[in-house]
Amino acid sequence: MSLAVAKKGAITSIGPSAWRPAVVAIAILLVLAALPSLVDPYQTVLLTYGLIMAIAALGFNLLLGYTGLLSFGHSAYFGAGAYTVAFIVRDLGAQSMELCIVGGLLGALLISALFGFVCVRHTRIFFGILTLALSQVLWSLAFKFFWVTGGTDGIRVASAKLTLLGGFVNFAGPGSFQRFVFAYYYYVLGLFALATVIMWVIVHSPFGKALQAIRDNETRASFVGISVRRYRWIAFVISGAFTGLAGVLWVPLNGLTTPDILYWPFSGEIVFMTVLGGFRTFTGPIVGAVMFNYLKTYAVASTEYWQLLLGVVLVVLVLALPSGIVGTAARLAARFTRGTS
Amino acid sequence: MTQQQLNRRNFLNSLGITVGAAAATSVPAIAPAVAQVARSPKGNIPSTPLKFGHMTFLTGPAAVLGDPSLKGHILAAEEINAQGGILGKRKIETITADENAGTDANVKELRRMKLSEKIDMFTGVISSGNTPALGPVAEELGLLTIFVDGCTDFLWDKAVPNPKFTFRITNIQSADGVTCAVAAAQTWPTAKKIAHIHPDYSYGRNAFDHFMIAYKKMVPGAEVVSEGWPKLGTTDFTAHITKTISSNPDLIMSSVWGGDYVALYKQALRYGMFNNAKFASTIAFGVAPHAIGKDHPEGVIAGVHSNYYFTFPPGNRWPANKTFVEKYFKRWIEYPNFQSDGAYHTLHMYRTAVEKANGLVGGWPDEEAIISQLEGMYFETAAGYLYIRPDNHQGYKDAVTGFSKNVAEYPFQILDPGRMITIPIRNITAPPNWPKPGTSHNDPTSTYNWIKETWPQEVA
Repeated sequence: MSLAVAKKGAITSIGPSAWRPAVVAIAILLVLAALPSLVDPYQTVLLTYGLIMAIAALGFNLLLGYTGLLSFGHSAYFGAGAYTVAFIVRDLGAQSMELCIVGGLLGALLISALFGFVCVRHTRIFFGILTLALSQVLWSLAFKFFWVTGGTDGIRVASAKLTLLGGFVNFAGPGSFQRFVFAYYYYVLGLFALATVIMWVIVHSPFGKALQAIRDNETRASFVGISVRRYRWIAFVISGAFTGLAGVLWVPLNGLTTPDILYWPFSGEIVFMTVLGGFRTFTGPIVGAVMFNYLKTYAVASTEYWQLLLGVVLVVLVLALPSGIVGTAARLAARFTRGTS
Repeated sequence: MTQQQLNRRNFLNSLGITVGAAAATSVPAIAPAVAQVARSPKGNIPSTPLKFGHMTFLTGPAAVLGDPSLKGHILAAEEINAQGGILGKRKIETITADENAGTDANVKELRRMKLSEKIDMFTGVISSGNTPALGPVAEELGLLTIFVDGCTDFLWDKAVPNPKFTFRITNIQSADGVTCAVAAAQTWPTAKKIAHIHPDYSYGRNAFDHFMIAYKKMVPGAEVVSEGWPKLGTTDFTAHITKTISSNPDLIMSSVWGGDYVALYKQALRYGMFNNAKFASTIAFGVAPHAIGKDHPEGVIAGVHSNYYFTFPPGNRWPANKTFVEKYFKRWIEYPNFQSDGAYHTLHMYRTAVEKANGLVGGWPDEEAIISQLEGMYFETAAGYLYIRPDNHQGYKDAVTGFSKNVAEYPFQILDPGRMITIPIRNITAPPNWPKPGTSHNDPTSTYNWIKETWPQEVA
């Protein structure tokens, strides 16, 4: 895969110590690339959802894990991306997915730059409440402007009409959905790999280190000469753009967008995924997002008490595994290697 | 179009409305559809079970309306399985899903059912917010689907304009608002100031639009004095109730449903909302009948989604209703609602279509053959005759509504069997091939446009 090669190149350029994670990442990418021919189409669909949410959680974690800001309003940027795509497809009649991505990213950037400008003036609970309140404003607009947004009915985006790679791949004709699922998986996988590499570069860059300094001690960071508010704002916008990209990719797969993705429980889900995977690690949000997607889907399918089940999982998680799946796994692995050496 | 001027009584007569218990005698004498197909199956029938997916509200305030759907489905499946299954061989297995998970999760779940669980057929779905999302997905998957409800006109007008695999059994939604308007105009023709309380999604908008367009035709000078749009699933209506009362309306019209409605009427009683204004609802008595207490106001128009109420047709006048209610009560120790009727007859209608297709092609018929038999089917249900229109796969039956009343026989309030209102469906819904929205007009639905263009305007 050319993407895997590109990824290796990007990571090795960072430093010689990065070769091991790069090998692991390429191995995982190859497994992911082989999966659709091994599992049934439904699993492919689920995994695509999982990868899309992983992009959102990666973006979210730039704020929580690296900058130390807990946003409760990331549904807003996810929804901004999703609704922009829906408007582009419905009102402009566009079919190119690339055009949708550009438009959707612009929409998400605009909203996150605006909301971020307001929110980064505060930290801790005030920051959380501000992000929540602003996202609820978007939700109520989508919900109440029935004649523009379709209210709770949402806006439909038919996958069969879209084209990928500048019109090179289209889905007209019979078996449309099956072909779409197959092709779209690789499309999302490619963008996921790209997004992961970019995020890796960001958090390991001087800018990323500055964010971590702000997280650990705001006063000292400003003494060093870091413009705390500006750095937070930039982190906020990048975070919003990643989550917006996830929203863009999510719409064609889901087939429609509804105000549910702007509502605060959806922000809560993004927080949940990140905590589930572990926000102290780079890969935690990715693992958490994919896992959460399976967890919710199978919980809804298997019991009518699925909300209760998810609640119990969250409580157990916070009490027993505060460092999440990846954090705990890393700790166990470290203990194991210490024991053997 | 020519707009004749006509007085209300003549117009209402022309609608063929029937009031009272006599209504059911006007149905034509046709042998029940179920009795026509007692022949042995042709060809080789596999004995593998048939997998059904049934999605309905199992949790949340909508469950009092949605849970009876699953009960109707299970009752029919048990009956069919007791006879050895469909075509005597294939027993029905059902997997269920909670519609309360939200539209996006429901789309995911439908795909899971088809791609992972490999269901043969999909039924259920209550909310009009969900069918326009699920219909295109079912078409995409090539999954034979009969929706029990979610009866928005939008599904066939816009979301799936040329259905192949999807059908729907309950009456089309525009009929609901129009039926309510006809009943109100006939009962309280002097009510001009109308206050509205509707759930804020497609159903509420649809009920508002169709009630007003029809009501204004029959009651000149009618105006909206207040609008309340609570979110679907809300159980606190205080703000909407006080706003409604302060607008001093003659008539309050509502399409709030399920557990939301139970909460609304109980709170409205405390504020005396029913004391100074008439009340008309499209779907108040759509819930499982025992969910409505004896404290509910009497003499209000308490609609049943223009579909079915278990006390009507009464007595033994329509045996299909009597036996259905008895069977349902025996199985569940409660009375059915219109969803129970819809889900129960969905399965029996499907069985009939399979049996007919088997008679034509032999063996287990493929989906095309089953669809060809469902299209244009005329089927006997507890509510009366049901017709599946071939062009839009929508089930049509005569619309029904009524007035609430306490009687000694039931521990809950019922619709007065002596005052039921029925309207022939062809008189309140757009005919086939009437232009769809977005073609020659931009009205909310075909029926809305049809009423606007063809109904005479009553003059003061």
